[in-house]
Amino acid sequence: MNSLPQELIDATIDRLPRPSLLSSSLVAKRWRQRSQQRALERIKFLSKAQVNRWCTDFPQDPEGIISYVRVARFQEIFSWDDPALFGHVLKSLCSLTGLCVSWTKIPIELPGQISRGEIGKGITVLHLHYAFCTLATTMSIILSFPNLEVLYIPDSEDGSEGPLQSYPAASQRALLDSLKLWGNSGGIGKALAESGFMFRRLSLDVGLLGVEQLVTLSCETVMELELNGV
Amino acid sequence: MLTDFPDRFVQENPCRTLSLPALTTLDLNLQNGDPSPHLINILSSISSAPALGSVTFRHDKWSNINQPFQGPWIDVDRWLTRVAQRARVRGGLYVMLQWLPKGMPVWGGFLPDFRRAGGQVKTDV
Repeated sequence: MNSLPQELIDATIDRLPRPSLLSSSLVAKRWRQRSQQRALERIKFLSKAQVNRWCTDFPQDPEGIISYVRVARFQEIFSWDDPALFGHVLKSLCSLTGLCVSWTKIPIELPGQISRGEIGKGITVLHLHYAFCTLATTMSIILSFPNLEVLYIPDSEDGSEGPLQSYPAASQRALLDSLKLWGNSGGIGKALAESGFMFRRLSLDVGLLGVEQLVTLSCETVMELELNGV
Repeated sequence: MLTDFPDRFVQENPCRTLSLPALTTLDLNLQNGDPSPHLINILSSISSAPALGSVTFRHDKWSNINQPFQGPWIDVDRWLTRVAQRARVRGGLYVMLQWLPKGMPVWGGFLPDFRRAGGQVKTDV
């Protein structure tokens, strides 16, 4: 075992199914790091209790194993006892590149924490599926992530769209890689268009508000265009 | 507003005429059989897409396509013809029809002007 090159061990671990990774991390010291990296690469929080356990059970050392987390999904957390907890967890996940928020309340404090650079500097992929917050908060979050590339909004909460209003311009980083905007997300489409976002890849439901504006704004940059429900 | 389809054009939210110089693929997921006036509206606003190499139509009710060839497909045919004539991609523009029932042939009269302009119609079966 000791004569095996590390690359071969890593390649073996990369082929293991996720349920085997706990066992593989216990095989030998040389198996531990890669197994932990793979096991923690994508994590899901399916309740407030899981979020609380994450904070208490995992050492919050930014250079420790929590740095292995690349993608975090928060699902069906309809309210927060402590609104700061969401931001606190995101802050601890310092290597995060992808964030998915599904059927989950987004505290109003979050955009401020992002824009102050406290969290989300490395996030390039944002997936919002029924994120419970106002349209203004949603837009503030999108505008605040400094390195956002991919935006996926398959649906938003009915009541979250709120009155249409003006949003700040998206400034220098207005060109993103891709946008998927489907279902009941019309207010966000119009708001993105008003903010001047442009994209290389667009996937849009044609019935949404702002579709023509989004295509028009991206006319020089769009390489792939998908129109749904036409 | 310059449009190829003044008879069907929907003027609710007029777009300006668009040039999409970087566009390489266009995917259209049809829902109700024929392309809607809204789609015709959007296509009509695209005056130029010289890099466009493929247009894919996805639809699970291909058997409902009007025969003889008529309706909004004529507008689509006209738009595709215009784009095909101006295409600068190697091999030209092709149309892909996806989710056709297995064994269903592509009707020879489908998109006639586009075919005459050198466009190809392919299927994924």
